[in-house]
Amino acid sequence: MTTALARTSAAPRKRGSADRRKKSLAAYAMIAPFILVFVAMLLIPLIYAGYLSLFKVQLVGGEAFVGLDNYLRALQDQKFIGGVLRMCLFLVIQVPIMLGLALVFALALDSARVRGGKFARLAIFVPYAVPGVVATLMWGYLYGKNFGPIAQVFESVGLAAPDLLGPQNILGSIMNIVTWQFVGYNMVIMYSALRAIPTEQYEAARIDGAGQFRIAWSIKIPSIRSAIILTLIFSIIGSFQLFSEPKLLYEIAPAAIGTDFSPNLYAYNLAFINQDVNYAAAIAFLLGFCIMIVSYVVQLSTARREKRERKAR
Amino acid sequence: MTSLLEKPAPASRSAAAPESPRETRRAKRHTGLPPGEKRSTVLTVALWVAAGYFLLPLFWLVVSSTKDNSGLFSSFGLWFDDEFHLFDNLATLFTQQNGVFVRWIGNTVLYAGVSAVGAAFLAAAAGYAFAKYSFRGKKLLFAIVLGSIMIPTTALAIPTYLLFAEAGLTNTAWAIIVPSLVSPFGVYLMRIYAEESIPDSLIEAARIDGAGEFRIFAQIGLRIMVPGFITVLLFALVATWNNYFLPLIMLSDPSLFPLTLGLAQLQAASEAGGGASAQFSTVITGSLVSILPLMIAFLYLQRYWQSGLTTGGTKE
Amino acid sequence: MLKPRHRSVALGALSLGLTGALLAGCASSSDAGGGSTDTATITQEQIDEAMSTPTTIDFWSWVPDIQNEIDLFEAKYPEITVNLSNQGGATAQYQKLRTVIESGDVPDVAQIEYSFLPSFTLTGSVLDLTPYGAADLADQFVPSTWSQVATNGGVWGLPQDAGPTGQLYRTDLFAQAGIEPPATWEEYPAAAKAFKDATGSYITDLPGNSFSPILALLWQAGARPFGFDGDKTVTIDFDSDEVQQVIGFWNDLIQQDLVATEPQLDDNWYQSMSNGSYASWLAAAWGPVFLQGTAENTSGLWQATELPQWEGAEPASGNQGGSAVTVLADSDAKIAAAEFVKFLNTDPESTLKFATEQFIFPATVATQEAPEFRDQELPFYGGQKVNSLFVDINATVAEDWQWLPFNDFASSSFKETLGAAITQKTDLFAALDEWHAQLVEYAEQQGFTVE
Repeated sequence: MTTALARTSAAPRKRGSADRRKKSLAAYAMIAPFILVFVAMLLIPLIYAGYLSLFKVQLVGGEAFVGLDNYLRALQDQKFIGGVLRMCLFLVIQVPIMLGLALVFALALDSARVRGGKFARLAIFVPYAVPGVVATLMWGYLYGKNFGPIAQVFESVGLAAPDLLGPQNILGSIMNIVTWQFVGYNMVIMYSALRAIPTEQYEAARIDGAGQFRIAWSIKIPSIRSAIILTLIFSIIGSFQLFSEPKLLYEIAPAAIGTDFSPNLYAYNLAFINQDVNYAAAIAFLLGFCIMIVSYVVQLSTARREKRERKAR
Repeated sequence: MTSLLEKPAPASRSAAAPESPRETRRAKRHTGLPPGEKRSTVLTVALWVAAGYFLLPLFWLVVSSTKDNSGLFSSFGLWFDDEFHLFDNLATLFTQQNGVFVRWIGNTVLYAGVSAVGAAFLAAAAGYAFAKYSFRGKKLLFAIVLGSIMIPTTALAIPTYLLFAEAGLTNTAWAIIVPSLVSPFGVYLMRIYAEESIPDSLIEAARIDGAGEFRIFAQIGLRIMVPGFITVLLFALVATWNNYFLPLIMLSDPSLFPLTLGLAQLQAASEAGGGASAQFSTVITGSLVSILPLMIAFLYLQRYWQSGLTTGGTKE
Repeated sequence: MLKPRHRSVALGALSLGLTGALLAGCASSSDAGGGSTDTATITQEQIDEAMSTPTTIDFWSWVPDIQNEIDLFEAKYPEITVNLSNQGGATAQYQKLRTVIESGDVPDVAQIEYSFLPSFTLTGSVLDLTPYGAADLADQFVPSTWSQVATNGGVWGLPQDAGPTGQLYRTDLFAQAGIEPPATWEEYPAAAKAFKDATGSYITDLPGNSFSPILALLWQAGARPFGFDGDKTVTIDFDSDEVQQVIGFWNDLIQQDLVATEPQLDDNWYQSMSNGSYASWLAAAWGPVFLQGTAENTSGLWQATELPQWEGAEPASGNQGGSAVTVLADSDAKIAAAEFVKFLNTDPESTLKFATEQFIFPATVATQEAPEFRDQELPFYGGQKVNSLFVDINATVAEDWQWLPFNDFASSSFKETLGAAITQKTDLFAALDEWHAQLVEYAEQQGFTVE
C-alpha cells in the first residue's frame, strides 16, 4: 500500500492535507459499495417510478405522456383516499396499543419484579421471528368461523361466534395480527434502552421515596424518549405499508377486504390486475409522500414538545 | 428522521468507550432487585398472561401439525386429536412435488444468508466511515440514506421489477438478493455503534503504528463492532427470510421460491384447487418447519443483538 | 486480513455492473408483445424436424398430477422435455403470466381458463394455432368448448376441460325435509323455505367470492351480458330481461335468508359441505370429485342432477370454469409447443387419463363418449353414473357466451360489488349497477368503446 510511501516522503505541512485527502478517499471507498447498491436499488427505481407515473398506457390505444394527470386522478380516487384513511385509522388505534403494550412490558421487565421475566421476554419477542405469511395463515385459521378455535370456544359456552373475518371486524383482526407480531420487537428496543439508563439517575429518587410508577413515569420514560420515537416512526412507516396480511386474508375474506384495502395492496392490484402500472407508480409516489409528511409531523411535534419541556425546566 | 438524528447527544449519555464506567454500571444493574423491593404478583401474572397470548398461535401450530385434513376440520383446535399424524405430515411435506420443500428451505437460507451477510458488511463499512471520517457531502449523504427509510419498499418493488425485467434478471436469485442488500437502518445503527464503541484514540494509535485505513477498519473497527454487526445481520436476515412481496413479483419458477412464497402458494392451491389437492395439513406443518430456524437463531444469538440494540435505541 | 476489503470491492463492482445494466434497461424501450403475424402453415417436415430436435418446453399449469400426461408425451417424443411449473392456482398464475409477458421471458405453454383467454389475446400474448393445424381439430371438440377458443378469426388454444353446471345434493337431508330437489326455478323458493323450516339448514350456498356461479346461472337463463369484437369495442349489458330476472330471483332468496352466501371452496366451506350446513351445491362438472375428497364422511349420501330450469325454456346450463392450453406468442419453441398442446388435449390416451384418473371433465367428443369415462359409477354418489349426466348437461350449454377482454378486473370488481352484496346479503340490484359503473369506467380508461 501507499501509506508508508506517503508518510516518509511528504513534508509535514503537505502531509497534513495529503493525509486528509487519503482519509477522505478511504471513507468514500468504504461508503461506495453501500451507496452503489443504494442508488441502484432505491434511487433508480424511485426515479423510474416517477418517470412512469407521468405516462398513461391503455390496453387499446397505446402510450401517451399525461403529465400530472395520474396524480390528479389519484387525489380524486375514492379507493386510494379510502385506503389512506383506513391506514390512518389503523395507525391511530393499533400503533398506540402496540407501543403502549411494548412499553408496559419493557418497564415491567426492567423493574425486575416479574418472576420468570426472562421467559416472558422471550415469549413476547418470539412472534417477531415468524414470517408475516405464516402469522397471517395461523391467525386466519384461528379466526375461522366454523372450525376456528376461537369460534369453538364461543360455541362451547353457548355464545354466537363473532365473524372475525367479516367486514366489521377485519380491520381489528388485522390489527391483532400486526400487534402480535411486533409488540415484542418494540419491547426489546425499549427494554434495551431502559437497561442503558444509569441507575444513579433514579436511585436518588428512590431514596426520596418515589414509587416505582413515579420513577417509571418521570425518569425512565423521558430517558428512553428517543427509543420510543424511533419505534413510533417505524410503526408509522410499517402501518402505511401494510400488504401481506390483507393480501393473504383476501383469499378467505374476499367480501371484507377489497382490492383497495390498503394503498399498497391497491398499488399492487392496479399494476397486476388492472394492468395499469403507470397509475400504480403514481399511487406509490403519493403513498411515500404521505408517509414522509406524517413522519415529519410526528418528529416535529415531539421535538417541539421537548423544547417546551426543556424551557419549563 | 433526519432532524431527529442530527441533534447532538445530551451530555449525560455521551459516547462511552468499552472500558468506560458504563460497563461497571451495567454490571451493577444485573444484580437484580433493588433493596427493599419485592417481586410483584400482579405484574408476574399480567406478563405471564401476555406471554400466553403470544405463544397461543404457536401452540396451535404445533397441535395442528399433528392432525390430518379431516382431524383439522373436526377436532378442537387447541388440543390434540386422537390420532397423531405429525410424521405423516412431515413425510408428505418433504416428498410432495418431488421434494420441492427442501429446495424452498435451501433457497431461503441462501437468499437470507447472503443478503444478511452482504447487508451487514455494506452497512458496517458505510456506518464506520460515517462515524469516523469527515468528508465532503457527509451530512447530505447521510440525510438521503436516512430519508430513504420512509420510501415504501413495496412501492419500489414494481419499478424495481420492471428494471430487473429489462435487465433480464427476474426469476433469478439476484432479483431477491441484490435489493435486500440495502439496509439504511443498518447504516444508521452501525454509525451510532461505531461512534459509541470505537475510541478515536485507538484509531490514532493504529495510524501511528503505520496501519492503513482499511486495515484499521478490518482489524480494529469490525472487531469492536461485532455485536452491532450481528444485530444488523439478524435484522437483515429476518427481513429477507420473511419477505413475501419481493419474491412474489420477482420469481415465477417454483424451484426458486423461498419458504414464504412456497407456503402461500401451497395454501392458495389448497383453497383454489380444492378437493383432490387440499393440503391444509401440509401447509400447517410446513409453516411450523419454516419458523424453527429463525427462532433458534434468535435465541442462540440473543446476547449479541440485545447489546447491539441497546446502543441503537438510546442514541438520539 | 484484507478479506473484508476484497469483498466490499467485489460487491461494489457487482453493484456497479448492475447499475449499468439497469441504466441501459431504462434507456431501451420495451414494446408490447405483439402476437404472431406469421400465418404460413407449418409443414409436416417442419414438425418432424422440430420434434426430433432436443427441446425444452416450459409449461405452466395448476392441474393436479398433470405430470402423468406429460410423461405420456415425453415417452412418445423422447427429444422433448417438458418442464412443469405450478404457480398455485389460476389467479396466481395469470398475475405471474402478466409479469413475465412484460419481461419477455415467458413459458412456452400455459393453461388459461376460457374466461381469461380474451384478456390474453387482446395483448397479443398467445399464439394463433391456425398455422399449426389447429383448425382441423374443430370437430373433435364439443361445440361449447371450441367456441371459447376459436374467436375473432383465430384459434387461441385447445380446450382441455369444461365445467357445465349441474346440481349435487344430499339425498338424506332432502328426505329429512320431506321434499324433492326442485326441477324448476319457479319451485325453488318454496323448496328452499320448506327445507329451511324443516332442517334449519340452507338448501344451497351462492358464493360471492367468485363470479363463475352467478354467471353460469345467467348463461343458463340466456343472458349475454358481455361481448368483445376482438378490436376495441366491448359490450356490457346488465339491463336485459334475463339478467334482471336472475338477479331479482337470487336477490329475493337472499333477502328472505333462504340461501347461504358463504365464500366457496375455502376451508370453512368444505367444512360446511361435510357437516350438512348446505343441502346442495350448484356445481360444475369438476365439482363431484372436489366434494368426494373433502366430505368423505358423507359418502353415499349424495346424488347429482340437472340444474333447475326456467319454465317453458329449452333445457339449458352454463359453464363454470373450464380451461384451454395455449402457446405463448413469445415462445421460442412454437412448433414443439403446439404439438405438445395438440397431444395433451386430443391424444385419446392422454385425454382419457385426464378424465378417468384426474377427473378433469373432458372437452373432446370421443372421451365424453368413451365407456370408461361415461359409465364410471361413483360410490360417493351411491353408484350413480355422474359423468354421463354431466355429458348430457354439457350438450345443453349455449355456444355464444363471451367474456370481457379484461377479465382480471371484471373478476376483482365483481368481488367488491355484486359479490360483496351477495356475501353481506345487501341489495343485489344496487350492487349490479355499481359493478356496471366500474366496468364501464375501467373500459373507457383503457381506451375501449363501450356499447
